[in-house]
Amino acid sequence: MQNQLLAITAAAVSALVLLSLLGFGLGSWQRADRAGWLTPAASAEPTALQAATTMYVDGGRPVTVVELAQLPGKAATAAPPGLTGFPRPGQVYYSPALAALIHRLPAASLAGRFPRAARPGTLGKAGLSSPDALIAVIGRAAADPEMTARRGSTQDQSPTAVGIAGYATTASGTLSTNVSWAFLLAGALLIVPITVLAAASGRLGAARREQQLAGLRLAGATPRQILGLASVQSAATGLIGALIGAAAYAALLPLLGSYRVGGGTWFISDLWVGVPWALAVPAAVTLLTVASAVSALRQVVVAPLAAARRQDARGTRRGRAIAFLLILAAGALAQQSGRLDRVGLLALVVLVFLALGIVGPWAVDRLGRLLCRLARGPVLLLAGRRLADDPRAAWRTVNGLALAGLVAGFFSIAQLGGTGQNSSASEIALAVPRASATALVARAEQRLEAAGVHAAVTLNDQDQLLYVDDDQTVLDVQTSAAAGQLDRAVTALTGLTPTGYPTAGAYLGWDDAQSIRDLSSISIAVLVLSFVIAIASAGLTAAATVLDRRGVYRLLRLSGTPLGIIDRARLSETAIPLTVMAGTSTLIGVYAGLRLNAALHTSVDRGTALLLAGCVLLGSAGMLLALGLSRPLLRTVTADPGRRASRRGRARREGRKARAGKAERS
Amino acid sequence: MSEPILTGSGLVKRYGSMRALAGVDAAVAAADRLAIMGPSGSGKSTLLHVLAGIIRPDEGEVRLAGSRIDDLGENRLSALRRTRFGFVFQAGQLLPELPAEENVALPMMLGGLPRRQAVARARAWFPPLGLDGLEGRRPGQLSGGQAQRVAIARALAVRPDVVFADEPTGALDQATGEEVVSLLTRVTREHGAALVLVTHDPDIAAHCDRLLQVRDGLIVEQYELRAGQVTAHA
Repeated sequence: MQNQLLAITAAAVSALVLLSLLGFGLGSWQRADRAGWLTPAASAEPTALQAATTMYVDGGRPVTVVELAQLPGKAATAAPPGLTGFPRPGQVYYSPALAALIHRLPAASLAGRFPRAARPGTLGKAGLSSPDALIAVIGRAAADPEMTARRGSTQDQSPTAVGIAGYATTASGTLSTNVSWAFLLAGALLIVPITVLAAASGRLGAARREQQLAGLRLAGATPRQILGLASVQSAATGLIGALIGAAAYAALLPLLGSYRVGGGTWFISDLWVGVPWALAVPAAVTLLTVASAVSALRQVVVAPLAAARRQDARGTRRGRAIAFLLILAAGALAQQSGRLDRVGLLALVVLVFLALGIVGPWAVDRLGRLLCRLARGPVLLLAGRRLADDPRAAWRTVNGLALAGLVAGFFSIAQLGGTGQNSSASEIALAVPRASATALVARAEQRLEAAGVHAAVTLNDQDQLLYVDDDQTVLDVQTSAAAGQLDRAVTALTGLTPTGYPTAGAYLGWDDAQSIRDLSSISIAVLVLSFVIAIASAGLTAAATVLDRRGVYRLLRLSGTPLGIIDRARLSETAIPLTVMAGTSTLIGVYAGLRLNAALHTSVDRGTALLLAGCVLLGSAGMLLALGLSRPLLRTVTADPGRRASRRGRARREGRKARAGKAERS
Repeated sequence: MSEPILTGSGLVKRYGSMRALAGVDAAVAAADRLAIMGPSGSGKSTLLHVLAGIIRPDEGEVRLAGSRIDDLGENRLSALRRTRFGFVFQAGQLLPELPAEENVALPMMLGGLPRRQAVARARAWFPPLGLDGLEGRRPGQLSGGQAQRVAIARALAVRPDVVFADEPTGALDQATGEEVVSLLTRVTREHGAALVLVTHDPDIAAHCDRLLQVRDGLIVEQYELRAGQVTAHA
């Protein structure tokens, strides 16, 4: 019963994590799709103009301003997603989050940036990537200078409005695309530990049934009957667990939706995978459980006597090491060819995971043999013999954390150092026509003074923030970098000239920095999930091992073996391969991260290196805790072994008395 | 019977309202071979476990070489079982992943003997027990009789005062069982160890010097067994 509960738990956790990952993966693509209208594809036969600009408020929250104008004499343009009609000149729409922010902040900080409208409309969900998205849609006339003037260009705004013919084809924003790929990569990184956990649930039950089924096989049951029986039992366990996991996923959707990445929190509907996936994932987990159980029991089917008496050590072949080296060589060649795109990189990651999965049991086998050679006392000898006896079982326990170590090593070292450019944090730049530049300086000074902003306004032809045409120059404002001061200054300068919105240096490169923050956030989530899954795997497997070996443990205690020795041997057979395998894979991950940094000319961040160390320490502590949790179980199953024997004798005697009484009465 | 090395006096053991032992006195002398017989559930295994310090009696006391052992703490009891007693069970007491010689060496290693010496001493037990050449085999690669011989070697390797054998032939065929119990009784005597053997088979019990017949938690009969002659005492 205990084993069944453990198996159900493992299947439930697997289904929960898989569905959550799938939800984020599919959801990020939906987000990208819904944000696509902000960057529409240019049309050869435009019916409208669209200009999109990103400005910042409240310490770095991006506000996307979309200005739209119907071209006169052209067919009516379809309404943008989230609106019921194409905006007419003077109409203004805000996303709900922006409307709330406008309400919260002083008008001089935000509301003043937008045209006054009697009744601003609301942009609906269909046009929002996230409930937190800050978007303003402004309707203008096609002849409005705001739509026709050539603007100063930055990476956040293009110099001219785009001619569009609707929103059927879009060019997705890079931010959403990066996040989508990051989730795909996270899925690839976590799929192996999750698979191991799901497979563990099948093996938990199977190990318990091995002797029973071996007995059936010896009694004449056919292989088909044996496998059928095992499949039905495992399927029931796996299905119950997977359905519990799916229910937990549905219940946790609001919590998952609060995970802020890729520009904000999530619409619950984005994270809901849909009924087909919600059924397919539990089915896949169940199938995996069944396949794992059948695989674990194939020994019974092939050689029941061997299974009943455990004749052979479940050793590994040298071919695994050769296959590992071949895979690594293929990966190195692919990397050196320099033709690795995103899909190639993903394939390389999966390949490295596959290589680890292949070489892991072989390495554990060799580690076990080495321990046996070096052992002077019983603890190391028992641990070493156990590892060499069934290296695949030992590898299954440490597999998850070894892979987590690889992930942790890579993500804590790689993609660091690029935290945005802040060299001109106190500067605001605005493209202005060269002809009226001097007059605009004076008007800018007036506006800033009226807004209570102390600033020095100059003209600068060599500005680093904005790229301008020859007939334009840059109005350069030096002020305090404090967020409130910046917000007021930007608001005061907005609308000064139709040649563009003010660009604050503090937020230059925000897009890249946000991408890095997102990747970092996802990698931390991957890291934490990897450790959680690995710890769950180890804890479940340790508990199952105690249950499976209770007969041996009981007899060892009965013969006077101290419980501490049994416990230390049991912990050593997990802790030693864990230290060696997870340590090695972490170092491989760190090395790969350093190589990537070298290629990107970025450096290791001390904070994330500390994060890695913290995660390794916490993971190890969690692993020891998970193993320690099965100690009471060990104590229980080995407690008072003689009493168990006597109970069996008593039961037999009572049964005999009952039968004798019945015979007498009859 | 010469001076007893192990005694149990007034032993009572209850499981709920059931009395598995209802006031038993038993004694074993050095190199004595005591068989305990009785139907299933009669209390014979409980008696063995109480004498071996595996189960604590509810009443009465157990003494080894004059010292009371039933009131010792769990750690000291474990150490006592490991160093002064040896055990042979029906089956399954050998660790499946350890080769035979390491199974025999294990109790010595647990006692603190370095592995090399423990294994060397363990190997010395193999030829006299007819196990020559099987030192490196795993339990799964041994026959039932061979596995029981290895278990006997393991029980005797720590040079115990008493060997407890609980249905040691229960999983063997009759001929192999005869062989194993002959060996067990012979080598325990050769090494000066007492033997307490629980069995339900009179032919197996006949290899011992004395026989206790247990029923409903009480010793109902005691016999001296001498070269096929049986002398009733109670």
